[in-house]
Amino acid sequence: MAGAWRNPLYLWDVEGAEEEIPATPYASPQRVWDEARESKTPMLPVGRLRYYYKWPGHGGALWSRLRYWPTRRRVLNIRGEYNPKTLRREKTIVDKRPIWWALGLLAFMLAPLIMPGGYQNTLLAAGATFSIYAAINLCWMLIIGTAGIYSLASYAVVGAAAFGVSWMSIHLGLPWWALPFVGAGLGLVFGVIIAIPAIRLDGFYYALLTIGLNELCRVYTLQSKQFGSSTGGLYGADSYVPDSWDPFDQQLLSYYACFGLLLLALALYRIIDGRRLGRILKMAPEKREAFAEATGVDYRRARVWVFVVSSVGLGFIGGFYASHYRGVSFSIFGFDTVLLGLAMLVIGGIGRAEGAVVGTAIVIFLDKVMISTGPLRLVLIGLIMLAVVLLLKGGLFGIKAQFRAWRDKKKSERRSIRSEKGGEMLPEEAAETKDKDVLYWRRYDKMQRDFLKTLVSEEVIEEHRKQPLGQHSEPLERLLLYFRRQPLGDKYAITVVQPFKAYRIVAMSGQRGVAPRIVEDKIYASQNEAYHGVFLRRVQDLLES
Amino acid sequence: MDIGFIVSNAVVLACIYGTLAIGLSITWSSVGLINLAYGFIFALSGYGAWLASQYVTANGIVVLGAGVLTGALGGMLVCALAFIPIHDKPNFTVRGLIATLAISLVGTQALLWFFGPRAKNLPEIFGFWKVHLGGIILTSDKIGNVVTSIAVVTAVLLWMRSSRRGLEIRAMMMNPHAASIVGIGVRKTGFYVMAITGGLAGLAAVLLSQTYYISPFGGLTPMIKGVSIALCGGLGSVRGAVIAAIVLGLNEALTSRLLGGQYVLITQFVLIIVILLIRPRGIAGMLDRAREA
Repeated sequence: MAGAWRNPLYLWDVEGAEEEIPATPYASPQRVWDEARESKTPMLPVGRLRYYYKWPGHGGALWSRLRYWPTRRRVLNIRGEYNPKTLRREKTIVDKRPIWWALGLLAFMLAPLIMPGGYQNTLLAAGATFSIYAAINLCWMLIIGTAGIYSLASYAVVGAAAFGVSWMSIHLGLPWWALPFVGAGLGLVFGVIIAIPAIRLDGFYYALLTIGLNELCRVYTLQSKQFGSSTGGLYGADSYVPDSWDPFDQQLLSYYACFGLLLLALALYRIIDGRRLGRILKMAPEKREAFAEATGVDYRRARVWVFVVSSVGLGFIGGFYASHYRGVSFSIFGFDTVLLGLAMLVIGGIGRAEGAVVGTAIVIFLDKVMISTGPLRLVLIGLIMLAVVLLLKGGLFGIKAQFRAWRDKKKSERRSIRSEKGGEMLPEEAAETKDKDVLYWRRYDKMQRDFLKTLVSEEVIEEHRKQPLGQHSEPLERLLLYFRRQPLGDKYAITVVQPFKAYRIVAMSGQRGVAPRIVEDKIYASQNEAYHGVFLRRVQDLLES
Repeated sequence: MDIGFIVSNAVVLACIYGTLAIGLSITWSSVGLINLAYGFIFALSGYGAWLASQYVTANGIVVLGAGVLTGALGGMLVCALAFIPIHDKPNFTVRGLIATLAISLVGTQALLWFFGPRAKNLPEIFGFWKVHLGGIILTSDKIGNVVTSIAVVTAVLLWMRSSRRGLEIRAMMMNPHAASIVGIGVRKTGFYVMAITGGLAGLAAVLLSQTYYISPFGGLTPMIKGVSIALCGGLGSVRGAVIAAIVLGLNEALTSRLLGGQYVLITQFVLIIVILLIRPRGIAGMLDRAREA
């Protein structure tokens, strides 16, 4: 026996009152309330701020700022503000990249001091190679990233300049200090020639054409006797490294000379990308050229300018290359060289100087360190390149922005999960209804009905059948109170067909002057039976709601 | 060097490179991918054919079939790696281009690692016989190359014109978004396209290996020639590719006759640049109908 209800009227001998009848045990309405009030959605974190270290304020030196000539720019982009809580002056370094650049370049400059003796030769040579390739890639990055011209002929320009300069040095006796400048002149010529189709051709048509030009250079030098088809390259150019020095000093000199070249290339990148030409081209990104043109930006001209200036830079590097390696081999025109160079740019991230330099460092490291594994190292580089292209939007240095975008997406998804709007109304209806109280009333009513549904049982129905009126057990009393409190529209009632003999259930119209409608044809023999019929109908409606 | 020999050579090469160019052209115009791994597919199918000739049989049809099949598989591999993951991502064209270049780097180095740098040669799949035609000696491989490539390309083009799949591919060429709206699966069609164009590369590889050898990097020059022809004719246009193949073949024959062999590439690129300066989308390409990535 689950529970019993003792009728208090039994002791007073009220008619029809039984001493004890079976009933469902007491259930607290609080439980339904608590269940409905608690949130079922997981409370996922949606906030999280970006962390910046807050430096203390300037104090007295609030207005003295370090600026560098010839611009009025500051070395670091520092934002000054007052802390809204403590009202203390604070400084935030918004862009820390100059610090990383300075540290990285300083480390590269000091690296020969700490190189282990056994690997010194290898590491110095690798460092020099890295600097030259990084310089080439910076110029190439100007063409691909800043100008947006998909030229794959940058190594062809370097190689052409290097071949021309080597030939002149061998046959005309050009001294080493003239080689980079003559190379720059050759680069200018080649750049102008290659730039002519770039005026008319779009991105991919141009990329395909430049692959062909690269191959053309390779095949031409490979077949011509003047450029040393028999020796695998053109060697014997005048070098800036004096032969009289001992080998270690020679290596050190070439290391620092290449480092100087890298610094020059960085300066070129900065001057072109960060100033007028770069700004113009940033206004005219791909697919928005028409807009830029309409606002008066001559982006074609800017592109060709960047292309030609970078080609001059590439030619300069070509001349330096020839005097560094005392010549040049055909491999600079090879398709694999282009692919490796592109891998450097792509791994670092197209459109940024740090991408070019760090990508070069990674690829050169893999290429030089794992040289014993043969073709496998190139397979590895290719796989890294493939993974970067497939997974990352902007290479290694785009990871931060991509991660932030992904996190913001997740945040907004979670925000939308967290909010429960509307309650028992459809969301649109809830937004449109004027009386917002209705929302809360409906929510409460639903909770009440959820609770009352748990009270309906065989015992309650049996109790009501025996005695529709009078004192009832607690669950039945709750049900009846709820039913009686309902609004008049469609409320059930009984009507007399024949007094004391026939009754019938009707439903109120809820409007004055409109007669109730008949619900069913069934005739009940007594008033109590009719009352019970109404009760059953209401229970049914409750359970169905 | 008689002119007939040069012309017949030029025709043979034009047929083979034209096959490659049509493959590249179809790939670009239907899936929007510039398949620079085409050279890798070329070399891969050459090795596939070589393996078949070594371990199965040296029968010409089997070798040819093995090459085409390997090429189709290679095309599907490229599709799975470079098209499926990023075809709906921003910057697809650039990323697809770089992805195919990466596949080409990985693939050719893997071939080098696996098969070694020594070049292989395939058996003469068309046998040994000659035809004298008005003073010109046509060898079996020349006739076989021309006939096979023209037959297969014609068959592919007819199939594209008349079959259900071909209709899907052509719909995607016209407008990929609209095609996907009317229920043509972009990914599925991408696989068909890449398999077919890969098969064309395989065919070209086997046919070209009648003249040259198979090596890991041997696909590069044919790919560049194919790309040049496709560019010159207009990416996406088969008719343009055929015209460009004839023009460039003639140029090759005339240059090597009049100036010398080493100037062929120079005159070829000067010609291409001139053509592209006059018509930036190639001979048969239309500016406004170019596929916008």
